[in-house]
Amino acid sequence: MRKPEKSSRVGIDVGGTFIDFAAIDIGSGRVSFEKQPASAGRQHEELLDGLHRMGLSGADVSQLFHGTTVAINALVQERGARVALVTTAGFRDVLEIGRGGRPEIYNLRFRAPAPLVPRARRLEVAERLDASGKVLQPLDGESIATTVAQLREADPQAVAICLLHAYVNPMHELELAKALRAAFPEVPITMSHQVASEWHEFERTSTAVVNAFVQPEFASYLDNLTRALTDDGHAGTVGIMQSNGGVLTANRAAHLPVRTLMSGPAGGVVASRELARSLDIAHAVCADVGGTTFDVALILDGDLVEKSDATIGGRPVLSSLVDITSVGAGGGSVAWLDGTGALKVGPQSAGAVPGPVCFGKGGDRPTVTDAQVLLGRLDPTRFLGGRMTLDVERARDAVRAHVGDPLGLSVTEAALGILRIAESNMTNAIRAITVQRGFDPRDFALISYGGGGGLFAALLAQDLGIDTVVCPVAAANFSAWGILASDYREDIVRTRLLDLQGSPQELVADLAELAQEIREVMSAYGPSDAVEVAHTVDARFVGQHHTVSVPIETAWLEDPAALVAGIEQGFRRLHDRMYGPRTRDNVLEIVTLRAHGTLPVESPRLPSLPDALSTPGPELKPVYFTDVPSSAAVHQRADLGAGARLVGPAVIEEPTNTTLVPPGWAAGTEPSGHLVLTREGASA
Amino acid sequence: MTIDHAADPITAEVVRNALVATTHEMNNIIVRTAFNPLLFDTKDFGIAVISAEGELWAEDSGLTAFIGCMPAIVQTGLDKHGADHYRPGDVFIVNDPYLTGTHISDTTVYMPVHQGADLVAFVVVTAHWADVGGRTPGGWDMTSTEVYQEGLSFTHQRLVREGTPVEDMLELISANTRFPEIVRGDLDAQISACRAGVDRIRALCDRYGADGVVGAMRRTIAATSASVASQIAALPDGTYSQSIVMDYDGIDPDVRPEVCVQVTIEGDRIRVGFDGTSPTSQGSMNMTAIGTRSEVLSAVKGLMSPTDPTNAGHFRHVDVVLPPHSLVNPERPAGSDAFGFVGAAVMELVVNALAPVFPQTSRAGSYQLFGVYLLRVDPRHGDPFIMIDPLDGGHGAHASGDGSTAIFTLDGDTLNLPVEVMENRYPLRCLQYALSADSRGSGRHHGGYGLVRDYQVLEEGTVLKYANENTRNVLSKGVEGGLDGTPNQVILRPGQPDEVVLTDRGNEAGVLRPGDVVRTISGGGGGWGQAAG
Repeated sequence: MRKPEKSSRVGIDVGGTFIDFAAIDIGSGRVSFEKQPASAGRQHEELLDGLHRMGLSGADVSQLFHGTTVAINALVQERGARVALVTTAGFRDVLEIGRGGRPEIYNLRFRAPAPLVPRARRLEVAERLDASGKVLQPLDGESIATTVAQLREADPQAVAICLLHAYVNPMHELELAKALRAAFPEVPITMSHQVASEWHEFERTSTAVVNAFVQPEFASYLDNLTRALTDDGHAGTVGIMQSNGGVLTANRAAHLPVRTLMSGPAGGVVASRELARSLDIAHAVCADVGGTTFDVALILDGDLVEKSDATIGGRPVLSSLVDITSVGAGGGSVAWLDGTGALKVGPQSAGAVPGPVCFGKGGDRPTVTDAQVLLGRLDPTRFLGGRMTLDVERARDAVRAHVGDPLGLSVTEAALGILRIAESNMTNAIRAITVQRGFDPRDFALISYGGGGGLFAALLAQDLGIDTVVCPVAAANFSAWGILASDYREDIVRTRLLDLQGSPQELVADLAELAQEIREVMSAYGPSDAVEVAHTVDARFVGQHHTVSVPIETAWLEDPAALVAGIEQGFRRLHDRMYGPRTRDNVLEIVTLRAHGTLPVESPRLPSLPDALSTPGPELKPVYFTDVPSSAAVHQRADLGAGARLVGPAVIEEPTNTTLVPPGWAAGTEPSGHLVLTREGASA
Repeated sequence: MTIDHAADPITAEVVRNALVATTHEMNNIIVRTAFNPLLFDTKDFGIAVISAEGELWAEDSGLTAFIGCMPAIVQTGLDKHGADHYRPGDVFIVNDPYLTGTHISDTTVYMPVHQGADLVAFVVVTAHWADVGGRTPGGWDMTSTEVYQEGLSFTHQRLVREGTPVEDMLELISANTRFPEIVRGDLDAQISACRAGVDRIRALCDRYGADGVVGAMRRTIAATSASVASQIAALPDGTYSQSIVMDYDGIDPDVRPEVCVQVTIEGDRIRVGFDGTSPTSQGSMNMTAIGTRSEVLSAVKGLMSPTDPTNAGHFRHVDVVLPPHSLVNPERPAGSDAFGFVGAAVMELVVNALAPVFPQTSRAGSYQLFGVYLLRVDPRHGDPFIMIDPLDGGHGAHASGDGSTAIFTLDGDTLNLPVEVMENRYPLRCLQYALSADSRGSGRHHGGYGLVRDYQVLEEGTVLKYANENTRNVLSKGVEGGLDGTPNQVILRPGQPDEVVLTDRGNEAGVLRPGDVVRTISGGGGGWGQAAG
């Protein structure tokens, strides 16, 4: 086989309005970025268009990693398959009953979203296990035959199976799935234990149903994509980004699309992790400032933080996810006054259409971007590299009419007020993931990216007492870069209620078994000795319900006594940090065992910038950081070489981002091109 | 009160958001660290930040029934001790129902927040404890005739003195509860949440000054109050009445206590009266004055501004007038252990009365409070355990849609107990958990479904208690021609020769045998509008 002349690795992040690309040429190390407009329905074609625009054909791509919104869009827009659900007899309504919560506690009309499977397609099969996995009622041929007949009637496009206590013993789910596959070879089947081997029947059922619901569309998208790539000469690998910040083979993803729901935002956090490692930053807050949402996550000790469940569109999903908190705050967030005259910003967003008032596309309610323009922070003539001219007067009128006049504030005060509220929404979100978990934000750096990353970075940091801020290269394509940098990843989870002190041998054996399973699953990815397996266990005080995840050190696996001691100390340290001292002690138990397998992929590196040259004095313009304007120097980022250093007040512009350097802050350029902002007088 | 212009509107909003975020954080700590499913799933707790003068600044409760109680609780503490009594690092405890508004199991733990030596605020966590002693395990003793029978009472004592735990008090608690592991674990969760609240508010005071925080909240409360006043002024004046007859008073099966509500809208005020309500009952179904006010406020908040964060300004234009010595305003020592039936009735009646005035937010009636306790105290048959399972049911339909299914009564974010967790945690098996097909009131829009839940007892010594009310005159009234929902029902050994339908409002139903099945069927919601055809 002839080796292609060019060989590139490509990371792709599909968003609502753009498909973002990041590519690295393996031979030359050349890195390139691209944005391609996205529209529903033609995604695989547009993806190829974008590749071609970068000068790449399918044949040139040795490895394509892909973050996708196919699954989440199908779920949120409820455009999924006609699913039938099979449950243990007596429990088909669990999906509809849910957990009965009412997050809007005063809302007399609150209703949970309607179940994805209506009652008529929820079937029951006679069988039963107890909580230890022992069979109380066997699954016999007659029950199976009844279910097959009922399914024939229901005529589903996908089937989800959730049987009680399948997380401890999957035997009945496996037997039933086998019989259903034989009867309906064309219909994809999701078993609950396969997507989430954890207790809580509603959450597990919901996860299985979501997987079944999005699976046919997801599989057909992947099918189209791989065919189009093959037609374009592609013979390399295709990996799909998961919500946990790792990549899955396209083949496995086609069966487990539920794992990809949050794949896009996860890319930015992976990119932050790589960036933090390259700059020797141990702890970082990752902030993705978009048009509609502000997504925040943490890097702790150089690693990202995961969680094991999420609620998406009001539906719970058990899955390993990068722990990202999203609030409705971004450039398009609308400023409004509530019934009491209090100024609110978001969560409603003007989005891309009609967009902020200053876009002149019909938006008439003032947004965060309008406030930025009025304060001189965004240049109305150079937005998107000058592709769009912003209408300052229109923005002024809107801010005056909707905020300034009603509150008795000048336009400048009103614009500053809008941004202060937006900033406080953002800093409250950051406090929720730092202070609330026992971390002091002052021990963190802030990595700020997304289209609005540079505008908010230093101001958020200032409010939180953070002294170091990084505004990365190609911040608007940062998630695509992160996807390119992701490793292959598989997770296995088991609910195992174990007394910590009482069963160290059992615990060691169980953890070893999980590691073995991971290696088997990952044998398709590469040499099994290259697979790195890490464990965590979720533990709690006996009597508690919620758990704390304790990372397991590999050495402990050789020594049961060390394992027990390590878990005990780790749990107590974490619990104490998060929740403070207790007035009474309790013993510990283990609830869930987790194994994470990683097959590392070589991390892409940015080429070095040329050294900074002395440049002619920058132009100055008035920028409002308070209600008195500062005279700020305007720099073009492309002109800044490695080692460049400038002091605030300054504005650094690039086509897809603007970075503010407020008074009291300085900015420097790393050899890799990342901007590092530091607070003057800080000891960083 | 005039708006304090010392606080600018932007700072006021930033401070208010920060206080709301503080209550979210406290809520989260309770959920993450509590020992009783009644807290981490059912969220039977209240969280609030209260000013040094006893005004509500922010709250993020699990149940809204506590909303009006928490400011009043702090006020009773200030009345008793005076502000100077509170020292930084102190933790106080109070659960006397005449000081807290609900029943003795709802135990409030709170801390003062100081900046320097100045008292700025209080952080408050009220949580339903698994057991506080008293005659019956887990409380909810409908037959108690005096509050003294209901358990160990606290009246604003210190649990922690300037940062040092008062070990004698903690031991006293352990010694007086049947489930010390759970109760002490939950108490620690409450203290953790309070400490976090104190830290966050202190940081806010460092940033904006105590005066800045106080000024900001004065401004926010005044603006909220003005907005509520203009909202009420825009409503048509008038009086709207509702009443309900309860099954019995807990002692005498022939007594049918009645709750009567009159809601009057006049100018920019809403007045809620209870003329005609029965006298204080012999049994413990009374609700003390603080609690009755709170239920009214919770209903009015749900009708007028269901989604914005609550503060004292929401309540300044609501007056509650309570007849003395009544079911809704008893005097010590009358019992209040089973107050919740009257609580649910007060709330439903206010919502129903005002349904014509609030067509956008009201709904038809919802099912009455319902729950089972399966428990074992006697260790001869195995480890003691207590499962308190509040049961979800159907809610009322409304002008724009069907009622909700499977949400707990009243307001609040109450989660049910998963079957797999139940079967792992307790010697019980769940045989079905399903929609109750015939439970909902039909109409143009139907009420929500009630639920069927079957528990099988697996071990000796297991005791059944249950809580039910309004089986004759249901709370789940249909409106505008919609039909009523069904009442709740408990059936022991359904389908067996010795089947018993427990129609009494119930209490201890005795010791069950292994293999016995308890079936609970919760009521459906009322319908809205005449059904077509």
